[in-house]
Amino acid sequence: MSFGKGLLTGLKVTLRNLTRRSVTAHYPDALPELPPRSRGVIALMEENCTVCMLCARECPAWCIYIDSHKETAPPATPGGRERSRNMLDQFDIDFSLCMYCSICVEVCPFDALYWSPEFEYAETDIRNLTHDKSRLQEWMWTVPPPPALDPGALPPKEIATAEKAAARLAAPSDATAAETAAPKDPPTKPAHRAPREDQP
Amino acid sequence: MTLVEVLFVLLGAMALGSAVLVAVSNNLVHCALWLVVTLGALAGCYLLLAAEFLAWVQVLIYLGAVVVLLLFALMLTRAPTGTVADLTSSNRILAALTAAAAAGVLIVSFAAGFGGTRIQIDSGDIGNAEALGSTLFGSWVLGFEVLSVLLLAALIGAIVLSRRQERD
Amino acid sequence: MIDWWDLALRLGIVLVAFLVLPLLVGQLEHKAMAHMQARVGPMYAGGFHGWAQLVADGVKFVQKEDVVPAAADRSVFKLAPAVALLPYLVVLVAIPIAPDGAASSLDVSLFFVLAVMSVGVLGSLMAGWSSANKYSLLGGLRVAAQLVSYELPFVLAAVSVAMAAGSLSLTGIVAAWNPWWLLWQLPAMVVFFVAGLAELQRPPFDMPVADAEIIFGPYTEYTGIRFALFLLAEYAGIVVLASLTTVLFLGGWQGPWSDQLGWLWTLLKTAVVSFLVIWLRVAYPRMREDQLQTLAWKGLVPLVLFQLVITTVGVVAL
Repeated sequence: MSFGKGLLTGLKVTLRNLTRRSVTAHYPDALPELPPRSRGVIALMEENCTVCMLCARECPAWCIYIDSHKETAPPATPGGRERSRNMLDQFDIDFSLCMYCSICVEVCPFDALYWSPEFEYAETDIRNLTHDKSRLQEWMWTVPPPPALDPGALPPKEIATAEKAAARLAAPSDATAAETAAPKDPPTKPAHRAPREDQP
Repeated sequence: MTLVEVLFVLLGAMALGSAVLVAVSNNLVHCALWLVVTLGALAGCYLLLAAEFLAWVQVLIYLGAVVVLLLFALMLTRAPTGTVADLTSSNRILAALTAAAAAGVLIVSFAAGFGGTRIQIDSGDIGNAEALGSTLFGSWVLGFEVLSVLLLAALIGAIVLSRRQERD
Repeated sequence: MIDWWDLALRLGIVLVAFLVLPLLVGQLEHKAMAHMQARVGPMYAGGFHGWAQLVADGVKFVQKEDVVPAAADRSVFKLAPAVALLPYLVVLVAIPIAPDGAASSLDVSLFFVLAVMSVGVLGSLMAGWSSANKYSLLGGLRVAAQLVSYELPFVLAAVSVAMAAGSLSLTGIVAAWNPWWLLWQLPAMVVFFVAGLAELQRPPFDMPVADAEIIFGPYTEYTGIRFALFLLAEYAGIVVLASLTTVLFLGGWQGPWSDQLGWLWTLLKTAVVSFLVIWLRVAYPRMREDQLQTLAWKGLVPLVLFQLVITTVGVVAL
């Protein structure tokens, strides 16, 4: 007898739901368990930024505003060429425009941008959603350590390079050689990555 | 005058006043709502005359069903709210005369027929369902059956009318 | 003569019940419906699982502006919520929760209850017509059509019980009740409950307020406290329907230790039936207008006529 079967099924389903725990997340009372790599807010590590403008140009929403000036450093060795460096003046991300596509983080060649899972930065004024350099830098504290490698994976290139450099430093056991060798092989990236990989 | 008599006069005046308003109001739905008041006041009169069962049946059938049907029909046919200017019929004087004549005949015949009759309201077994039922299916059964035939005829008439419209 | 203090006490209890029970049913609806839909419902008002949500709602409704549309029929518009709500208060007076527990003992209280309940729908009709809004008007039409169809099976189902008990008084019906009636009067119970749901315009019979089609039917134009009164009328209607079903079909105060705990039995059964009302709302989708009419005229009316035959046979033969 099929008549009434659907009616009974409806009652059964609702009653079963009644006896189960609800799936509601009690958000303000209990914080959500976000997966790693959640795209909450973009953090800026200012020291890594070279003002290459790649992020600003790739941003589909045009929500990154960068301004800089050039500074010249004296030559490292007497008679050498003066080095010019880009100094970051302004780095703003307008999160009212940002669409969390992650392109800026992907394209940054110097790992200056990171995702942080923090998401509670709502504002009552839309202008306050534009985070400036110092505020973006503050988010760096909330960036989680990178997830552990899969078993059997090759070590990342940065670590391999750093280990090679360390081995080269240790091998000659000659202090003067080491001092000359170090500047020749400037480990820019590993050096900057180091603080992150120190974290467990 | 006892409290019951005062109430009876008040309810009677209410029924009469709202009945007049049913006739003269320029707003059709207001007419229907005044009819609710009239029928309700009549039910109150029945209650005071110890006809409990009749009173509640009056409310159930007339207020709960007939007026609802009336309002339903009004909503279907006269949707806009507000007053209607040409609601007053041109032969209103004739209608008033007819109504007055009918009321006169009813009053005179009732006064002549039951004028001297007194009922004992407090005895409690006049208006209850049992007394009403035995009267209705005993001494008045012919009238009851004639009425049911009339209703049946009305029912068949309604079906015939709606069927004919369907075919056209 | 009448003991006035006793009467005043009973009326006071009815008033308190009228103010409290609908809120309890409303809160039960909030929470039970939420959990049936895997949600949690109100959680904050009052602190513990949102127990004061409806009180908070009431406070909010009182503060809101009382808007009357410019084209509305002002007096009818303002009167409608009272007409919708008051009958349910009056009905509660006649419902016996214990052998001597009705606030007023009428000889024909069954007809009193049915008659007064049928007045409540006038409020919806008045609201629908006086709002001067086409959606309200459509809602009013649907209310009227639904009421006209379901009033008949509703009353006939009640009549069946009255025949079985040989009494038109609710107290007499409960006194004559017998567990065997659960089977004997089962069709009437189903018809009474379903038709009652339809008269209250509760889902799945909420075509008159179908929000996807006509916003909120007759109540579209209402705001603030008047709107709240309509909602209260709906919940009071659930209480009245549940208690009537209890009294007519489930034996009212009858149960173990009914001498002392009769009132508790009545309240318990009423609560269970109220829960069923809410449960049906969650489980079933809204019925279409033609389905509504089909169910009434081709389902409930024949069923209840059949029940009347059974009841007659039972009364005459046994």
